[in-house]
Amino acid sequence: MSAVATAGTARPTRRKRDYSKLAVRLGAFAGFAAIALYFAATARGFVSPYNLTNIVEQSTILGLLAFGMTLVFAGTGTDVQKGGIDLSLAANAGLCAAVYAVLLRNGYGSAIAIPAAILTGMAIGALNGVAVVLFKIMPLLATLAVLNIAEGLELTLTENTVVPVSSPLIDMLAFGRFLGLSSLTWIFVVATIVLVAIAHYSRIGLRLYAVGGHKEAARAAGINNGAYVYGAYIAAGGLAGLTSILIVARLSSSTPGTGQMLLPVLAAALLGTVFSRRLIPTIGGTCLAALFIGTLANGFQLLGISSYWVSGVQGALILVVVAVTSFAKK
Amino acid sequence: MSEPAIEMRNVRKTFGPVIALEKADLVVHPGTIHGLVGANGAGKSTIIKILAGIYRKTAGTIRIFGETIEDVTPVAIERRGVHFIHQDRLLVPTATVAESIFLRNEPRFGPFLNHRHMRRRSKELLHRYFDLELSPDTLISELSTAQQKIVQITRALAQDARVLVLDEPTAALIDKEVKSLFKVLRRLRDDGLAIVFISHYMSEITEICDTVTVLRNGVDVGVVDPREVGIPRIVEMMTARNTSEMYPRRAVALGAPVLSVRDLTCEPYFRNVSFDLHAGEILGLTGLLGSGDKEVLKALFGQLRTDSGEIHLNGERVEFRSPVAAVSSGVAKIPEDRRAHGVAAGLSVRENVSLASLSDVSSRGFVNRSREVEVVSGLIDDLNIKTPGPDQLVKNLSGGNQQKVVVAKWLNCNSQVYLMDEPTVAVDVGAKIEIFELMNRLAEEGKALIFLSSDLEEIVEMCDRTLVIYRGEMIADYARGDIDADRLLAAASGAPAERGTPAPVRRSA
Repeated sequence: MSAVATAGTARPTRRKRDYSKLAVRLGAFAGFAAIALYFAATARGFVSPYNLTNIVEQSTILGLLAFGMTLVFAGTGTDVQKGGIDLSLAANAGLCAAVYAVLLRNGYGSAIAIPAAILTGMAIGALNGVAVVLFKIMPLLATLAVLNIAEGLELTLTENTVVPVSSPLIDMLAFGRFLGLSSLTWIFVVATIVLVAIAHYSRIGLRLYAVGGHKEAARAAGINNGAYVYGAYIAAGGLAGLTSILIVARLSSSTPGTGQMLLPVLAAALLGTVFSRRLIPTIGGTCLAALFIGTLANGFQLLGISSYWVSGVQGALILVVVAVTSFAKK
Repeated sequence: MSEPAIEMRNVRKTFGPVIALEKADLVVHPGTIHGLVGANGAGKSTIIKILAGIYRKTAGTIRIFGETIEDVTPVAIERRGVHFIHQDRLLVPTATVAESIFLRNEPRFGPFLNHRHMRRRSKELLHRYFDLELSPDTLISELSTAQQKIVQITRALAQDARVLVLDEPTAALIDKEVKSLFKVLRRLRDDGLAIVFISHYMSEITEICDTVTVLRNGVDVGVVDPREVGIPRIVEMMTARNTSEMYPRRAVALGAPVLSVRDLTCEPYFRNVSFDLHAGEILGLTGLLGSGDKEVLKALFGQLRTDSGEIHLNGERVEFRSPVAAVSSGVAKIPEDRRAHGVAAGLSVRENVSLASLSDVSSRGFVNRSREVEVVSGLIDDLNIKTPGPDQLVKNLSGGNQQKVVVAKWLNCNSQVYLMDEPTVAVDVGAKIEIFELMNRLAEEGKALIFLSSDLEEIVEMCDRTLVIYRGEMIADYARGDIDADRLLAAASGAPAERGTPAPVRRSA
């Protein structure tokens, strides 16, 4: 036994912190399970295969946008209270949906409209990047301003009306099934796998989390921090563009009000942190959290509870999660 | 002798008209641990930043393993095997040990990270160099300070480091951890690495270093074997004192004890601090960065909750739960960072000065403006604050005058005990003398002062008595005349001769 080995034992205070982190995670899983069991016992039809796939389907759009938020959290501050955020994400999706729908209505094909929607999302993301990295504006404020820009552009494009569209692709997305699962479900599964691989099993992901975890440490390791922050915002914007196509497909139109998705998106990305060992936003955690919120909305619906309550519950979830994780980290 | 790993010759660095480094050499051979010492501002960090490629040299040559490098950049220097272990533990708290060791040099398996290789290799390195069985999946935030230091070093070793530069590596470590770190450094030295060791702690320099370069005022004044010449000689080389007529004298008879502190403990900062502070006394308090000296002042001002011990003010036991409580009992503090804590830079001189004593210049909740102006103008004259008028914004004054405003603010509120945290940092000589005169005047008026400074000469010249804190222990209590800056530095640096024999604390009957 060398003297170094004595330095190897973790200090007791650190141990205690480990238990509180573990407690948070177990509590989160237990909470999810308890609520699911409660709905299974009280809500008629909750456990039917149809309803369960319905939950996944309902969670897809929320989940994809929350993945975008997760990437932003990862690259700008895994401690969500001090780090960055993208408030413009949902409004960005609304704008992309408008671009997509308006292009289709004006006779362009999906081959043009889809890239256009995704590029629009990435452009808005890049704008966030410019504001945060180049102009060094506080992310909360910068992305709030960009939210307004995106919303304004959406209203200008659609004149605040519903833009109904239809195309073979939209029909396929809305009604197509493969191996008994809907298109949306498949997209959710594939997106989760791809993003898990990028965020948690690639160099880019590791470095992205390093930038968000400790800016100075990342810089000292020779990482170009700014590029990763830009990347996170642009990727989130791209995801918003991609999701906008699903939104249009589900509603067969571009409809005002997509921006209101912000609260559930934020709730899902924040709630995701309690499912991770490190108490940081992860793709897997966010996926679970999106399903959790989807389950809540679905259960409330089946029990006949007003949907207005869902919004309140989401707000409360944000408060509880942020409070609990910051206490567990202390 | 072998070819030097690092050979910096005649390196010069200027920032505009300021000369940070005049003409310094630093030559480090493989298989040695080379100390780099110097007082604050001697150019230690400048020469290291030039080597790291953070600053560009103004003149001089830099050779790494015989190869002259013209354009020193962080990437170029790291490619040649020179690695820097920063004083701050620059690691991502939410990353695992394996991820931290391989960050930016990640092994890949196809497009993916090779997690298995990262884990295996981390385990291997930690075991081989440190005999440390640490799971590579442990999070950085779960490691002790010493373990984090080890991960930093392992990261360098994983990239085949040939030169390690350690900046104050022991600053946040406890004694036992320092011992294990030294063991590792010796082992790496025996493996043929060149190690540059920067530390304020003289005892560590003599313990671990084979050679030492001493810097003073931007010049390397000597390369010595520390074990041969000893601490006092090194300190002498560092300081080369010349006490000028900077320090005004005073003659005050000490009065009754005002503040008595007994066994004050506040883990992990300091333990068992005891002293008496008399009316008319200036008590010096000093220690190296992180020694706990600042925390003693904080505890006395109610900014830190203590674990045990007693504070008596005028014979009555007090317990300050907040600075507000301390102020209302007649204890004032002049904080160090005046921009952050001392003054409201956007307010006027008048408003700042009367802020701490609004109750004296106001009636029924309203400020009596004419009385306020009268009081403040008097203080401006008294302290010789150079301002066009009481309504000038504080941010437009010079550093020294800003500091005087802070002092005036507390002078005004008629406190009994003044805690001064580095009141002379970053002020010019003229303002310094005025602050010293002010301290003397307060003492003459029968106030009691605690003067915390890392400028040892100031302490020696100004204080009736001096307490030295070393790693949280009060290790010495010197009376005026017993002490010079060399001995004080030796004590603060933990020199064995000065440790363990604190003068008995004077206790009043």
